[in-house]
Amino acid sequence: MKDTSIIRVEELGKSFGEHQVLRKIDFSVEKGECVCILGSSGSGKSTLLRCINQLETQTCGKIYFHGQELGRKQKEINTYRSKVGMVFQSFNLFNNMTVLQNCMEGTRRVLHLPKEEAHSRAITNLKSVGMAPFINAYPAQLSGGQKQRVAIARGLCMNPEVLLFDEPTSALDPEMVGDVLNVMKSLAKENLTMLIVTHEMDFARDVSSRVLFMDRGYIVEDVPPEEFFTAPKHPRAKEFLSRFIAG
Amino acid sequence: MTNTPTNSFEWVWFIAQKYSELFIRGTWITLVVSVIGTLTGFLLGYAVGMIEDVSISKDDHPVKRCILGALKAAAKVYVELFRGTPMIVQAMIVFYGLRQSGFEIDSISAGILVTLLNTGAYMSETVRAGIKSIDPGQREGALALGMSPVSAMFHIILPQAFKNIVPEMANMFLTNLKMTSVLNVIGVQELFLQAKTAGGTYYKYLESYLVIAIIYLVLCFVFSRIFTLVEKKMANKKDYVLAIEYMENTQ
Ligand SMILES: Nc1ncnc2c1ncn2[C@@H]1O[C@H](COP(=O)(O)OP(=O)(O)OP(=O)(O)O)[C@@H](O)[C@H]1O
Ligand SMILES: [Mg+2]
Repeated sequence: MKDTSIIRVEELGKSFGEHQVLRKIDFSVEKGECVCILGSSGSGKSTLLRCINQLETQTCGKIYFHGQELGRKQKEINTYRSKVGMVFQSFNLFNNMTVLQNCMEGTRRVLHLPKEEAHSRAITNLKSVGMAPFINAYPAQLSGGQKQRVAIARGLCMNPEVLLFDEPTSALDPEMVGDVLNVMKSLAKENLTMLIVTHEMDFARDVSSRVLFMDRGYIVEDVPPEEFFTAPKHPRAKEFLSRFIAG
Repeated sequence: MTNTPTNSFEWVWFIAQKYSELFIRGTWITLVVSVIGTLTGFLLGYAVGMIEDVSISKDDHPVKRCILGALKAAAKVYVELFRGTPMIVQAMIVFYGLRQSGFEIDSISAGILVTLLNTGAYMSETVRAGIKSIDPGQREGALALGMSPVSAMFHIILPQAFKNIVPEMANMFLTNLKMTSVLNVIGVQELFLQAKTAGGTYYKYLESYLVIAIIYLVLCFVFSRIFTLVEKKMANKKDYVLAIEYMENTQ
């Protein structure tokens, strides 16, 4: 069978010392998919994303990008990361730079785009998240929701093939969550390939094309959202969902 | 000078005028040694601090791991040696050590070398703490864009750490300005040694040292004012200008 996936994870495991956090992770992501990763706290969702992005090195198993096994060479990892962006729960905007500089840093330094092109890309993407008027602001001068939208724009400026999100709305005040989710919804509509760890059940149900449910380091469900939300098979998934419906 | 001075104040003034050349020369040498020694010491401190911060990964090439390991060990020994001994002893050992091993080093160069080595050792710890104080998320944000770890260090982490370290760097310079006085033991003709010379002829040591005390005070005062100004200049601006040209349909 031909491997058409953008990212494929094979038999991936991760331990921190004795503590086994990820076990036998197997899944793949096709172009244009919006995959939501759900699971209770400590189930290993963040660690999985961080392994995919190589911020953590897996203990065993392989990651394939366009069918090519990802090597351990730093150069190779840098190039891979420039194509697989990441949006963090805590934004991680560069504090010493303005919004505009944040959005030009990657395109200038990593992709070596000419200044004008980097600038116009930054403006285009900042416009799309509604943050273009704030180009001169420093991160410290923005609200959480604004910071996260800038962080998404920063990621988009790289024209990534995949964008990873680790609980992008968890650090936000409730009234700002909507702005960020709307941005992500429109990205899903444009068929950007996304892998999203989230606790936003409505978003997962309405926007995702697939749901991965994690429990104690295993992926125990890998199904379309309709199936996951109406007929979860795994007992932990049932329990997880009932908590959300009750709460 | 027609009248002989009658009290200590007059003697201070008398000595200051009579030996003004010595004091000016001393001030100049004190400045040269402390400025050059401190600035080069900062560079060394940054280098050593960064070496100490690097972690060796299993995936690195064995040769790279060896070199890094050796550098890290050398850095550790260096910092311990220079933080664990008085500068005055370091001066003697460096100066006579170099001379006895056949390096014809003059005392000013030796003085600069000692100041730089001493500063580097303290600075490396400051730099390391400064790097540690930066949220690891800053580095991860940079890596996630595809920046190399080195590039993340130089373009994202160090500029932020630098800003936090500036007050400590200013402090270190002021300390050095005063600490160069110990270099008289290897014959560096900085302020202290000049005061010793100037006080000798009339046996007016108190007055002579009062002269240089005033000079040190003025130097420190001027430099600390300058540093305060620089720090203010470097602070992030409080306001920003909205780019109204992009304002159309946004919240
Ligand atoms: N650097 C680390 N060192 C040691 N243990 C770690 C490290 N990072 C994560 N862990 C452990 O791995 C487990 C999974 O963590 P992870 O952050 O992936 O969970 P999560 O599913 O993202 O949880 P949450 O929903 O709370 O974010 C936890 O038990 C955590 O303590
Ligand atoms: Mg997490």
